[in-house]
This record gives sequence, structure tokens and C-alpha cells, in this order.
Amino acid sequence: MIEEFREYRRRRHQAAIAWKEENKGKVVGTLCCCVPEEIIHAAGMLPVRILGEHEETTEAALHFSTNLCPYCKSCFDQALKGSYDYLDGLVIPNVCNMVKAMYGFSKHLLKIPYIYFLEVPQRLSGNGVDFFSKELVRFKESLEGFSGKEISSQALRYSVRVYNENRALLRRLYDLRRRSPPLVSGSEAQELVISSMLMSKELHNWRLAQLLERIQPRNDEARQGIRLFLSASVLDDTDFLRLIEECGGMVVADDMPMGSRYFFGAVDPRGAPLHALADRYLNKIACPRKMLPQARLTFAVRMMKDSNVKGVIIHNMRACDPHLYEYPLLKEKLESEGLPVLFFRGEETETEREQQRSDIKAFVEMLEG
Amino acid sequence: MLVAGVDVGARNVSAVILQDGHIVASGILTLAGEGAVASREAITQALKKTAFAFADLRCVVATGCGASSVPFAHRQSAEVVCQARGTFWLLPSARTVLNLGAESSRAIRVGASGRVEAFAKNDRCAAGSGLFLETMSRVLEVPLAEMGDLSLKANGWEEVSSICAVFAESEVISHVHRGVPRERILAGVHKAVASRILETLGKVGIKSDVVATGGVAKNKAVVRELEGQIRLGITVPAEPQLVGALGAALAAQEQVARS
Repeated sequence: MIEEFREYRRRRHQAAIAWKEENKGKVVGTLCCCVPEEIIHAAGMLPVRILGEHEETTEAALHFSTNLCPYCKSCFDQALKGSYDYLDGLVIPNVCNMVKAMYGFSKHLLKIPYIYFLEVPQRLSGNGVDFFSKELVRFKESLEGFSGKEISSQALRYSVRVYNENRALLRRLYDLRRRSPPLVSGSEAQELVISSMLMSKELHNWRLAQLLERIQPRNDEARQGIRLFLSASVLDDTDFLRLIEECGGMVVADDMPMGSRYFFGAVDPRGAPLHALADRYLNKIACPRKMLPQARLTFAVRMMKDSNVKGVIIHNMRACDPHLYEYPLLKEKLESEGLPVLFFRGEETETEREQQRSDIKAFVEMLEG
Repeated sequence: MLVAGVDVGARNVSAVILQDGHIVASGILTLAGEGAVASREAITQALKKTAFAFADLRCVVATGCGASSVPFAHRQSAEVVCQARGTFWLLPSARTVLNLGAESSRAIRVGASGRVEAFAKNDRCAAGSGLFLETMSRVLEVPLAEMGDLSLKANGWEEVSSICAVFAESEVISHVHRGVPRERILAGVHKAVASRILETLGKVGIKSDVVATGGVAKNKAVVRELEGQIRLGITVPAEPQLVGALGAALAAQEQVARS
């Protein structure tokens, strides 16, 4: 049944086009996990996460220098090559320099009718939440202008409920993965999270709930091995998780944007929806861009310790400044807690698979003792 | 009990034969062709120095980047682990192993029990590797084995880029055209190589005793430069290129003892 989710991801462009035709609705692309998709959902549109591809960024290379984020370049390359021509809208949040730059480039070079730049405060504070909820009002009004329809408070509350249900299901999935032995492998878990970023949430909730009911203990290779934590910046390359599994490691937990960071922490269903959304998307996502190293490190280490792992693999995308700034602090903290670290500086189109394989094998053998 | 370890590297294949915990023979071949053939050949050559035949081997463990190409190996063991195991067996006081190979250099931190605690390898560029030294040997027309000694005779050095092997090569060629003495250029080359290795070493931290293994460890100028930079002596085993194979042979011995 997991195969169905993997297949959805593989056919995501056709699936989004089919959704448009069936629902006579609009598809809106998003980048990063700090875009409150609930508002797009409440507007009756389908939010889809923009992903990179394993191929040379021949078109993006004409516009971007080589030392910029390979993930963003790959996403942009796909858009330039026409893979995202079906998009009606695109929401680009103010998260890092490269994503920010994507706004101007998208306006300039892509023919997407609606492109919105979402202001996301850099620091966590009460003022930040107030600012962000005002920004979400502006975003909501902008979407209303785009669709020509009002987004009711009732619709927002319904979307919050649907998204919270998805988060609860994904948390249950992650609990099964953390067990010993895990019921779900790390690569399977990532396929399930990424498919949630692409599929209609109602459909994902329905299929994921069914999957969780049916999941059975298995005893294949991916469920035996050394328990590892994967700490990563943007990593949509599920082959990397499969590589770890091939080398005798099990990724039983993660803190990735393309993993637990997507569904961590629920939106408070009792409060005013936009304020509650601002609170969740700003305060409950622990990521290095928030410039609070101590809080983020404490959060990350607690997660790692709770998952009972023997070591941590850190995968930072080349040129991902927020994560690369944090890396030395994280490494020092983990080693002081007795958790060995293996570091990779990643690419979107990986050319060093065999080197990675030999390093992961060595790490696993080292942890086996 | 007779066991063997074979290390299929990027440039050489080496083999070590252990009998009841003692090294009885070893061999090194330059890799040409398939790892499967070369690894068998390396072991066969080593066995010729003994009264034993291939069939007498109870267990063979393969390591190195070509470990998976050894069809007769009973198991594989990672290079990092074998380098640490081999070094610790030779020198139990070793806490940092610098494995300086043809394609990559690795720094390995070893615990008091000989276990690997952490490791790091050089970043993408080839500037810190043995193949880079081979290129320099060709460009400067100095045999690889003589580069270290010649460089130590230099009075000063010429700046060579440590960022990129290709840029370094064109820099060296322009030094040659300007008539800079070869030993000065070589001293610069060795400084560049050492600075790349130091970056890798910095990732695991330096703990004494430091041991250098792999083909590049035979280059005295690189080792001298590294010693100067870290202000610590570096021990180089008599046969630094055999340490990985020795570690693999020790793994084979443990495997037999366990079964």
C-alpha cells in the first residue's frame, strides 16, 4: 500500500493536472514548511510542495551561479523546463536568501499568474506572532482577490481540523517507525510525508489512516540494523535514506523539513484561526533560520535522545546557509552528549553515491563496535 | 590458523597473510584491470613467500574502495575501521590515524580500546591526495619516490594553490616556465597537500599519538610539514600501504575466532 504513495509522488504533475480538471480548482505551489497551507486549502485550492529532480539543472544554470542552493536551482530548473506549467499560483516565503531571490526570478521568468511573497519574521517573539498573523490576513485577502471568493472563518477552521488530523496521523506513523524493530522504514516514512505535501489532504488522511490500520510487523532488511537519526536541511532525495538502509542503518527519526518538521506541533483549534496558524508556523517549527541556536539545539538533542539512536547522520545541502551555520554547534553538542556524527554536504543531483556509501558503511561498522 | 586481508585501493592492491596472529607474508600490486583478478593475484604473490596455498586460507576479509569486487572474500570491512584496527595492532598508543591514500585522505580518531570514535575525509577536491602528487611528479619530472627528499633540500617554497588540483597544476607549470627550481616548487606542492590534510584532521581533532598510513605517508616532506603544523611527531609504520590489509586480516582472524 505504501507503493501507492510513492507512485503518487512519481506522477505528481499528472495528478495535480487531473485534480485541477476534476475539481475545477487552482493549484498553488509552495516552498519551505512555513507557508500555512491551511489558508490555501480553505480557499478551495490545492497546495503542492515544489520538489527538485535528479537531473542536471541545464536551464537554471543559465540564470544562477554554481555556488547557490542546488535544491532551489533544481526546483527552478523544473519550472523553466515546463514541469510546473500547470501552476496557477506560487507562494514564496521569506526564509533564506536563495528562496527570497526565487520570488524575483519567478516574477521575472515564469508565467505563473499569481505569485505571493509571504513575510515570515526571523525571530521568535510575541511581536513576531502578531506581525505574522497580520501578514496572514494580508495573504488571505490576496488569495480571496485571486480566487474571487471569500475565505470564511468556518472554512479556515475546517482546514485546520483536516491538517491537524493529517499531522496526528503522521505522528502515529513516526511512532511506528521509532519502535524496535520499526514497523515502517525511514525511506517509507519520507515517501508518506512527501506525498502528504502533494495530495489533497482529505485523500491523504483517508489513505494514510487505512494504511496505519493495516500495517503489520515485517522482518526484512530495512528493519534490522543500527538505529540512526537523520538531521537534514532540505532533503527530498529519498534515495539517500534508501542508501542508509542498504548500508545497514535504520533511520528511525528525523528533524527534516521534508520529514517531521512538516507536521510537528498542531494548530490550536480553539483560537482565532489566523492567529493560531501564525503561532504554530512560527513557534512550533524548530529550524535554524529562527536564529535561536540554544532552543533549536535543545529541541534537536531531545528528539535524538528520545529516539534511542546510536548515531546521527547530518545531511546539509550545499550552500544552505542556515543549516551550515548551525552545523558546528550541533556537532559539538551531539558529541558532548555521546552521539557520534557523520556529516554530508549534499547535492540535489548526487554524484558521490559510492563515496557516501563507503562512509555510511564505515559509520555503521564503527557503531556496531 | 591462516587468514588474509586484502585492501583494494584506488591505485594499489595490498594483501597481508596472518598465521596465528603473526604476519607471515604480504604483497602490494599496482592496480591494473579488475579488482577480482588483482586481489587474488596480490594474495597469491604473498602466499608464494610461504609454504601455503590459497585453499589453506580459513577466511579472507576485503577492504578499500574496491572491496565489493573481491568475490572470494568472506566479508567486507570498511576502510576506516581496518585502518584503525591495523594501526592499533601495530601501535596501541595510536589515537589519531591519518590515512593518506591515492584518492582520499581520512582522519580517524581511535579510542583506548582501538575502536573508531570519529572519522572525516577530505572534501571533494583531489588536492590533498596521492593522485595529485602523481600528477605533480609527472609535471615536474621527478619520480614519486624521490619527491619528498628533493623537496626537503629546498630553500623556501613557491606558493601553490591548495584549493583545486587543476589550478594547482597550471600554477606549477607556470612556475616551471619561470625557471623556479623544482625543489622550491615541490616544497610548495607539499605544503598545499599538507594544508588540505590538516583541514580533514581538524574535523576529528588531534590526539597524540598520531600515525600516518597509506602511500602518501611515504613522502617525508608531507609528513615533516604536517608535523610542523600540528607541533607533534607523526609515526609512519615501516609499510604504511599495508595497514588497511593488515586491519582486514585481523578482522578475518576475529571472524574465525568467533565462529
